[in-house]
Amino acid sequence: MKQIITLKVNGDTHQVAVSPWHTLLEVLRDQLGLTGTKRSCGMGTCGVCTVIMDGKAILSCLTLAFECEGHEITTIEGISGEGTLHPIQKSFIENGAIQCGFCTPGIIMSAKALLDENPHPDDEQIREALSGTFCRCTGHIKTVEAVKKVSASYGKGKNDGE
Amino acid sequence: MRLPHFEYVKPATLEEGLKVLHQSGNKARILAGGTDLLVNMKYRVVRPEIVMGIKSLPELCTVSSGSNGSVTIGSCVTLTDLAKNSLIAENYPALKLATTSIASKHIRNMGTIGGNVCLTTRCWYYNQSKLWRDGREVCHKAGGTVCHAIKGSTRCHAINNSDTIPVLIVLNATMVLKKKGSERLIPSKEFFRDDGIRYTVLEPDEILTALLLPESSGDSYITFIKVCSRKGLDFAWGSIAASVTGSNGKCTQASLVLSSIASAPLVLKKTSQVIIEGGLSEQSIEKAVETARSELGILTNLFTSAGYKRDLSQVLVKRALGELQGQMKKERRTKA
Repeated sequence: MKQIITLKVNGDTHQVAVSPWHTLLEVLRDQLGLTGTKRSCGMGTCGVCTVIMDGKAILSCLTLAFECEGHEITTIEGISGEGTLHPIQKSFIENGAIQCGFCTPGIIMSAKALLDENPHPDDEQIREALSGTFCRCTGHIKTVEAVKKVSASYGKGKNDGE
Repeated sequence: MRLPHFEYVKPATLEEGLKVLHQSGNKARILAGGTDLLVNMKYRVVRPEIVMGIKSLPELCTVSSGSNGSVTIGSCVTLTDLAKNSLIAENYPALKLATTSIASKHIRNMGTIGGNVCLTTRCWYYNQSKLWRDGREVCHKAGGTVCHAIKGSTRCHAINNSDTIPVLIVLNATMVLKKKGSERLIPSKEFFRDDGIRYTVLEPDEILTALLLPESSGDSYITFIKVCSRKGLDFAWGSIAASVTGSNGKCTQASLVLSSIASAPLVLKKTSQVIIEGGLSEQSIEKAVETARSELGILTNLFTSAGYKRDLSQVLVKRALGELQGQMKKERRTKA
């Protein structure tokens, strides 16, 4: 039942053999080794598997790999440069928005999708964009603050929006 | 949880898709956004042999306006795109409101309007993993003969949790259902069935291809209110869409529809009649709130207790009518 499909992830083109029932999350983690994207509920509730597809935050646990052909996918591994962090990642560290770190890739990808579309969102828009992600240790106030702080200068640094 | 095994079909055209459904009947399920179907497949409550992805069919992904002021929404338009669409925002603000109230931004980026309309009815005892369900007798919806929600019930009482449905009914939307070689148009009011298992009139070989919205009338007022435990992500405990046509507190038409209360959306006919007769006066609203309670029928204790559902329904009716009263007063001031 396996078929070879072509996936474009973080600018690289990959050819992978997948079954119809494989989700994008399974292919990213198990076949491409991109384990930055996490797996948790698998039901679209927690948001830790968030990746960006064609500019929009989506849940890779509820997306069939078969349906990703021809789309641009960005994972947490694709937003930082060599040895440098993305401004949102820096802001999360500086503002204490990270603790155990498990939910962080999902929240950062959700925040990036928001800021790429709207670089200066208000509090309500930030909360709306992050509402599909759960953090069970740091809490959500710090993550909103981190996104708010980085939004002031978003799009001005050379590494932004990569 | 991983998905069960299935064959994936991606039709190149709608006709090809209809042919696949015609040949496979009950064995196939339609996949659009995946936020409902794939979850239910992981739970093993749906086990299709064939999954047909229709999200990339271009004819299902557009919002267009007709010459008579009507608007056609393709069933695979995502909830995010629908809420952003200027035709919808200008002419049907309540639909935009209901659409943006659904789940989270991630789910709205994936989920479609057709998927929300056909959302599987939900129940505490059914929407669980197989292991969990195996701990009890198999219920009606899972192929058995008992109902855990109402002991002794001979039917399934799973709840219709869609947020866009009440608004679509109030707007008098029409559903376009296509099957191989034919098409039928069903008024949204008649699309739903009061049964947790067969909750729509959609046949296994049919696809909901589009929703037709009639021209929005200038002197009508409409609102949507949803109550749930958190603003984001949660399914509603109850929601209401209400509309009136008229001016100066008098109404020539009124329509109130509750959702997430029972297996089908509840169209409050008697309550609407009270408003048509008495207008939007305080007294008439009070009477409407009382009438609404008598129209609810048998309710289950699913997600909230039946008593809470009755009280909540009354609160929703009161809030919605108050909101419409406010809209009408404001309009009169701006006109004067």
